[in-house]
Amino acid sequence: MRSGPLARHVVPLLAAIVFVLPLWFMVAGSLRPVGLPPPRGVELLPPAPNLDSYARLPQLIPLFVYLRNSALVVALAVPLTVLVASWAGFGIRLLPPPRRRAAVVASLVVMMVPVTAVWATRFEVFRLAGALDSLVPLVAPALAATTPFYVLIYAWSFGGVSDGQLGAARLEGASTWRLWRAVALPQVKPATLAVAVLAFTFHWANFIDALLYLRRQELYTLPLGMRFLQLLNPTDWPLLMAGAVVVTLPSVAVFLLAQRLFLDDPLRGLRGNAA
Amino acid sequence: MTATTRSAVRFLAPYAVGTLLLVAVPALLTVGYAFTDHTGLSTPRFNGLANLRRLAGDPFFRASLRASMVHVAMAVPLRLLAASGLGLLLAAPRRGGRWYRAAVYLPTVIPDIALALLFLWVLNPLYGPLNQLLGAVGLPQPTWLATTWGARVGVVLMLLFPIGEAFLVVLATRRQVNARLYEAAALDGCSPFGQLRRITLPLLAPVLVLLAVRDLVLTLQVNFVPAYILTDGGPGNATLYLPLYIYDQAFEFLGFGYAATITVVLLAVTVAFIGLQLALVRRWRVLR
Amino acid sequence: MTDADTVTDADTPSARVALEGLGKRYGDVVALDDLTLTVEPGELVVLVGPSGSGKSTALRILAGLEEATSGRVLVAGRDVTRVAPHRRDVAMVFQDYALYPHLTARDNLAFGPRVRREPAAAVTARVERVAVQLGLDGLLDRYPDQLSGGQQQRVALARAMVREPAVFLMDEPLSNLDAQLRLAARAEIVELHRRLGTTTVYVTHDQAEAMTMGDRVAVLADGRLQQVGPPQAVYDAPANRFVAGFIGSPPMNLVAGGGALGGEPGTVVGVRPEDLHPDPTGAVALTVTVVEALGSETVLAGHSGDGSRLTVRTGPRSPCRPGDVVRLAVDSARRHRFDAATGRRLP
Ligand SMILES: Nc1ncnc2c1ncn2[C@@H]1O[C@H](COP(=O)(O)OP(=O)(O)O)[C@@H](O)[C@H]1O
Ligand SMILES: [Mg+2]
Repeated sequence: MRSGPLARHVVPLLAAIVFVLPLWFMVAGSLRPVGLPPPRGVELLPPAPNLDSYARLPQLIPLFVYLRNSALVVALAVPLTVLVASWAGFGIRLLPPPRRRAAVVASLVVMMVPVTAVWATRFEVFRLAGALDSLVPLVAPALAATTPFYVLIYAWSFGGVSDGQLGAARLEGASTWRLWRAVALPQVKPATLAVAVLAFTFHWANFIDALLYLRRQELYTLPLGMRFLQLLNPTDWPLLMAGAVVVTLPSVAVFLLAQRLFLDDPLRGLRGNAA
Repeated sequence: MTATTRSAVRFLAPYAVGTLLLVAVPALLTVGYAFTDHTGLSTPRFNGLANLRRLAGDPFFRASLRASMVHVAMAVPLRLLAASGLGLLLAAPRRGGRWYRAAVYLPTVIPDIALALLFLWVLNPLYGPLNQLLGAVGLPQPTWLATTWGARVGVVLMLLFPIGEAFLVVLATRRQVNARLYEAAALDGCSPFGQLRRITLPLLAPVLVLLAVRDLVLTLQVNFVPAYILTDGGPGNATLYLPLYIYDQAFEFLGFGYAATITVVLLAVTVAFIGLQLALVRRWRVLR
Repeated sequence: MTDADTVTDADTPSARVALEGLGKRYGDVVALDDLTLTVEPGELVVLVGPSGSGKSTALRILAGLEEATSGRVLVAGRDVTRVAPHRRDVAMVFQDYALYPHLTARDNLAFGPRVRREPAAAVTARVERVAVQLGLDGLLDRYPDQLSGGQQQRVALARAMVREPAVFLMDEPLSNLDAQLRLAARAEIVELHRRLGTTTVYVTHDQAEAMTMGDRVAVLADGRLQQVGPPQAVYDAPANRFVAGFIGSPPMNLVAGGGALGGEPGTVVGVRPEDLHPDPTGAVALTVTVVEALGSETVLAGHSGDGSRLTVRTGPRSPCRPGDVVRLAVDSARRHRFDAATGRRLP
């Protein structure tokens, strides 16, 4: 069965270009010299591009403080998310099938709870815990695996580990803990990679929690810092785009590690050896 | 409970406790606060249905509800169409396939704040690339964020890019369909369009329903950042989406109680949609 | 396809199929190498070979699901090499049945005719008729996952029959059934073929299936046709060492010439297990290592004085025990000789 080159490559290529375009405009915009008049036509690359705007960033805002805070948050939240999600996913795998389904449905329901329903009241939970005015509220979602979606990714991936394997390991005297660490987890490395990458992009970009729970400048993470930058210089486009590129770059770099998600068969790709 | 189930529960415990503390308890508290005058600072006092009565007469709430519904009506179908269209288009293995897929996913990893700042610029009538593109092909160049519909469409436009999750789910589900089904259909003279209509869509229907409802719930919430950064609810409350109004009430006007009431309305809408979803999915099981 | 076409198709229930010099490569892998095979109208030919020998590839090229790298496909004298699958007037039964999971058995059967916009009343009647023929009449409103493996297999078969094609193509349709069911289904397909008289190409890796079902069998290995002929002829005179070893169970004993089974150096001598007889005066001394009593017969396995491994088929209730030495006589009329270098049969 063949399909023409149109369906095979031309249309996909056009789609790809449309979806890469925003990032392109972001980068191009950041390279535009300050004070230039509006472009007359479509400007794929500005005249005389330069990096001045990037140089101005740390002069206007405490960029490196923001960076350090953001780095701290992901350094804590990403491993914690992976741990909690993989435990929960393995727990679901160990449940007998009817309860397994119930756990999956429950996770789906939690995914449907609007975030607005917990904004103000989480604030109170954090206040009670004395965690306001620290980075704790930004790391805390990791305790709940950040989102049930990551738990479901693991649950699906561990589904590829057969009962036979688990039984065999148990006959060797392995504890369930050991089943998780030595039998199951090594077989779903692609899922771990995917969850880590997704968790990174979530926590790195987490704007709302920062906006809600951080008050002091010294605690600002990069996304909130960018909002601050926007308030300072609302129309300095090259500067704002330079800031946007700085926030975006780490996410894109980490995302490129997650190529497996985009293989021909992503679900099988996630299961790795267990497929 | 068997030993295996007991250890399963142990593995699930951190997730369960985390979800309880960070989702369940706050969500229940919100429902409770909806019937109080809580400001976030004082001790909350029960005030019955006062908040609901206030809601009924609140023009901002009506504007907010309308803005949210208009937004959902535009954004959900378009996002779903884009995600499933691209997911089906790019599911077939082809040389370089993973790069096309990665490109489509790319905007999804751009942090909200960066995407919003970018669209603030993209939609700028004077400097923005969008109007330059429109001008280049001879189309009118609206002033976007300055007009009611320009702002609403602008936000939808921005949210048409981060559709990676639904895109991947559709793609992965499509890959699960047995290729032999398509061969059997081809032997019967079923055209590619017929295969889409008679095989792909019916088989993907449950997932598409799930995605539609999930996107609906998500879309009711993710428009906070664009509205906050791009329009701040304006012009004239055209984009005062529910999350933005809730945020304003809770954190700007210290109306935890009232914000909770609005949230409960949002929650009720959400629950209605979840119920609808479960009912549909169950129905689909029977109907195939 | 118009109704007129359909009517003509139904009037010519079987067609000659010719594969001419078919070749297929996947990158460096040669899946099929110069396959030429003619299937006469109404004939049931079994394509048999080990897994990976190119059987499915051949069948899929014949169906038009795969494009040949070289060669031609003719159905009823018409060159269909470049013709779309549905215009070849063939129906296929897949190994995993490929039933549409979202449709009932009835809608699965009616799928093709509906796509071709055949009149609804005629479709309903045909579906009912075929369902009765295959004993599916009570199951038509079930979904595939509510049917047992055997029932699913029948629905798949019925779906192909509803098509009333000129040629049936079946790719290992029974390999997902358990042994008992497989035997019954095997007989059923043969009976069906006898009744319908439709040209059928049947693919299997199971040589017993090939022997019992085919009017002729075509043995494939490494993408190459090894031998074609009636099952007994292939069994009695395998064209080469591969066929000798592949057809027949337990497989033929093959021993280098000059060894236990005689013959001259440079040849390989083959004797089927049933052509070795216990005989006190026999030339071969077999040290028995395994005794398999199958009830109706006993299979002895062991090695001769020079270490060649041999299998012998004897009557039931054999007194032999592992460790015994049995003398065997070779039925010399049934001794096969093959060229050691090329593997080809020597006269
Ligand atoms: N789509 C494909 N891509 C690459 N190689 C293939 C493909 N399909 C089949 N092959 C190869 O062609 C050879 C024949 O395959 P096949 O016809 O499926 O064998 P059989 O059906 O006899 O088991 C095998 O070596 C197989 O690996
Ligand atoms: Mg095969």
